[in-house]
Amino acid sequence: MLQTSNYSLVLFLQFLLLFYDLFVNSFSELLRVAPAVQLVLFIIQDITILFNVIIIFLMFFNTFVFQAGLVNLLFHKFKGTILLSAAYLALSIAFHVWMMNLRWRDSSRFVWTEGLQTLFVFQRLAAVLYCYFYKRTAVHLGDPLFYQDSRWLRKEFAHFRG
Amino acid sequence: MIWERSKCAHLVPSLQCQASQSGGCAYGSQDEIPLSRPKKRKSKGKTPLDGIVQAAVRRQSESSEPLTPEPPGGPPRRKRKKKKAPADSETSFTQQNVASLFQNGNGMDVPEAEETGIRKQRKRSKKPRPAETQASNDLEVGEEDIIDDKDWKSPEQHPVFAAPTGISRPVSKVFVEKDRCFQAIDRAEWIKTTENTNVLMDVEASWTTRDVALSAHRIFRVIGLWSQGFLAGYAVWNIIVIYILAGNQLSMISNLLQQYKTLAYPAQSLLYFLLAISTVSAFDRIDLAKASVALRGFITLDPAALASFLYFAALILSLSQQMTYDRINLYTPPSENGSLWMAGTEEEVVQPWIVVNLVVAILVVTGWICLSYRPELDHSEELMFHAEIEEFPQRDIIPRVQP
Repeated sequence: MLQTSNYSLVLFLQFLLLFYDLFVNSFSELLRVAPAVQLVLFIIQDITILFNVIIIFLMFFNTFVFQAGLVNLLFHKFKGTILLSAAYLALSIAFHVWMMNLRWRDSSRFVWTEGLQTLFVFQRLAAVLYCYFYKRTAVHLGDPLFYQDSRWLRKEFAHFRG
Repeated sequence: MIWERSKCAHLVPSLQCQASQSGGCAYGSQDEIPLSRPKKRKSKGKTPLDGIVQAAVRRQSESSEPLTPEPPGGPPRRKRKKKKAPADSETSFTQQNVASLFQNGNGMDVPEAEETGIRKQRKRSKKPRPAETQASNDLEVGEEDIIDDKDWKSPEQHPVFAAPTGISRPVSKVFVEKDRCFQAIDRAEWIKTTENTNVLMDVEASWTTRDVALSAHRIFRVIGLWSQGFLAGYAVWNIIVIYILAGNQLSMISNLLQQYKTLAYPAQSLLYFLLAISTVSAFDRIDLAKASVALRGFITLDPAALASFLYFAALILSLSQQMTYDRINLYTPPSENGSLWMAGTEEEVVQPWIVVNLVVAILVVTGWICLSYRPELDHSEELMFHAEIEEFPQRDIIPRVQP
């Protein structure tokens, strides 16, 4: 059974990483005084996304549902979060690489093209959706139903077997 | 477990005596039944229930007096107590109680009680039975099980038993099952540990992970509501500033660009930051992850669904202007070398940007009105935290079987 204090700590960490992600997405253009600064911000951002994905998977592994072998049930229930996290991580890395490649020599240069603008829009939209789905999953995993045997779990088990 | 053991001890005092002497784990032992043999033949063919019924009928017919035990300390009991001196205090007290319980006016009930207890013991010795049958035998309510409160609930004699968690046995020890056997534990110590456990369990039960999740969700909802209001005000302020700087009929575009270039990126950054929080909060309100619920909300023009759509549209429009924001940020007059702006093209670039900003302002204000009209509306909380509870209440949780 998940301890309340542990869960609070993990939830706080997740929200902190989410906030950092949102902060960099919002204000990275303001903090481009030097290319190295932006590069560090982008690297840390990608690592936070990766950390968040690792944390959510560790939370999955900690559930009774997972330990009972119903991995499919968890993945089915949270597939939106898993897919969106992966897509967002890929989009972020792509955007960061492209942007840093263009701005590395001169950070105050106008670098925007149609392609970069499109990638930017998709990356930022994915960021919002990722934030929503991730937050929802993190909060949802606080439900004690995932950490003990219940009629709901047996019903789901029967549903999956059938 | 404890109750059952105590009950057995009450029915068969000799057993409890042996258990206490040997430090527990003697449940069901049949070494010490000296009185059983002569009675065995007499009661052959009778069930324990028959015995109880007969005893009850006989008592009713023989004695019209109520079951009023003699006051403790009477001469006959003292004699008996002296005889049983080697036994420890709890054993002697139990026997004393048993004796006093069944010693009514004619003094004939003590053998009767012993007989009933012995008969049960003999039944067990005959053949091993399944646990359920044995348990049901143990749980039979005989007349001798009914103890008058006056007998043993005397706070002067036994102040320990006045403790609120003291249950039913006037003994200083209780028998707790540990490692598949009963062990004698001091009652006061047991009460202390039980109380500590209860306090810990109460603290744990009072604040669960579900409560943490729920409070986090509610905090975010409040932040989202605040953010939506702030965003609406900020967007209105932004568009007013733009129109004032642009002048009448956009006659002062260059002035707008000169003045606004320092504000462009901070404004865009803040707009995205607030829009992101507001959009996530609006999605939370409608529970977008559940497609069917979200779709139903859109069809029925649910305020939360409407607001979600408005915020998402505003977000897309705002993001689509990123290139223009960067161009404004790097504005230098077209006459200067290396300028991104060509003379006469400022209006073509700036006018759509102003229109988009105006639309964004209208969208976020409408979205804020939709959500702030019913700030308590939250489908996510209803569906995530309450639907499953109602469908599968906590009592349905199946406890894990400990090996």
